[in-house]
Amino acid sequence: MPANFEELVRTHAADLFRYAFWLARDSQQAEDVVQEALLRGWRAFPRLRETAAARAWLFSIVRNEFHRARGTAAPAAESLDGLELADERSELIGLELRDALLALPAAYAEPLALQVLGGFSCGEIARMIGVTEGATMTRLTRARQMLKRLVEPRARKGAKP
Amino acid sequence: MNCLDYRRQLLAGSGEGDAMRVHRLGCAACTAEWAQHGAFEEALRGALQVAVPEGFVERMARAPALRRRRFLAAAAGTLLAAGVGGYAWLARQDPLAMACIDFVMKEEAKSIMMGPMPRDEARRMLAGTMPLEAVERVGQVKHVGPCPFNGRNAYHIVLTVPQGKVTLLVMPGYRMDGPRRAAKEGMSAAVMAAGDGSVGIIGTDVAVVDSVMGALKA
Repeated sequence: MPANFEELVRTHAADLFRYAFWLARDSQQAEDVVQEALLRGWRAFPRLRETAAARAWLFSIVRNEFHRARGTAAPAAESLDGLELADERSELIGLELRDALLALPAAYAEPLALQVLGGFSCGEIARMIGVTEGATMTRLTRARQMLKRLVEPRARKGAKP
Repeated sequence: MNCLDYRRQLLAGSGEGDAMRVHRLGCAACTAEWAQHGAFEEALRGALQVAVPEGFVERMARAPALRRRRFLAAAAGTLLAAGVGGYAWLARQDPLAMACIDFVMKEEAKSIMMGPMPRDEARRMLAGTMPLEAVERVGQVKHVGPCPFNGRNAYHIVLTVPQGKVTLLVMPGYRMDGPRRAAKEGMSAAVMAAGDGSVGIIGTDVAVVDSVMGALKA
């Protein structure tokens, strides 16, 4: 369990960046959001009593910071230019899914990122984004349905000789 | 459980529970669906794992301390220049309203994680200070739960209004005069007298905070 803030950042910063990226759909904006969020987190850290909840706490700060910054920031450029895939093995299917994820409305992409990247349960996600657990499950279901719908025709097309 | 339930729960991504597994083991179609879904989830995880910019983690680990040092240097210069005027401005920030902002920034996520209280209990506990029905007329209540605040028992409400999210801290038994205000780090708070206590209203936009305060008073 992280004993200091720097250790906490080293443990979670990569996933916080990825989460911020799927909120902002822009690498530079994601970096700015995480930096500001961690500054706020650093100031608040001495009063964090339950370090077990630190991951959810940091994700919530990133979310708040993104929505706060969005009020003044330029609209996110939904571009993956220059952004590399983390895992080359999943390159082909990953590229298809990335395109599909970028086409996914934010209301669906965010709970999906919290579930898959953050590892949070439907109940935790519901509380973080301020909707009911049932609505969260519906969004997650629809998100996957949309992704499959977007990816499968391309996959079928690609499979033709 | 039938095939439709199985596939719906699979798509929600919560993992395969015992009931789902029992169904799958007796259903060839869902077994095939499960295998396809596993491959999809693996690809999805890969697709979401965008590469982190080189040196990002290291920069982030060091950034707060560097920013803090720059901030302190700038703040010291500003305070020296502003002198008594700057001190007077700081003094206008009400400590209770500041504590409300601190709560949202540092404690809110944990409070939400602790889970909501039953609605009947919330109605009973809030009745003398800020009836739940009055809050529900202003916006959609997303969370109500008890929370320690400023050395007292308070109630934490997350409210969604058309302009966005607002947090309320209902403090039964804490009487005070007039609205008190504070603002820092992009957040605004106002604390007003209500019933047998007071209510803190915290949001990112002072106009929305004022609007909610007006609506709660009405």
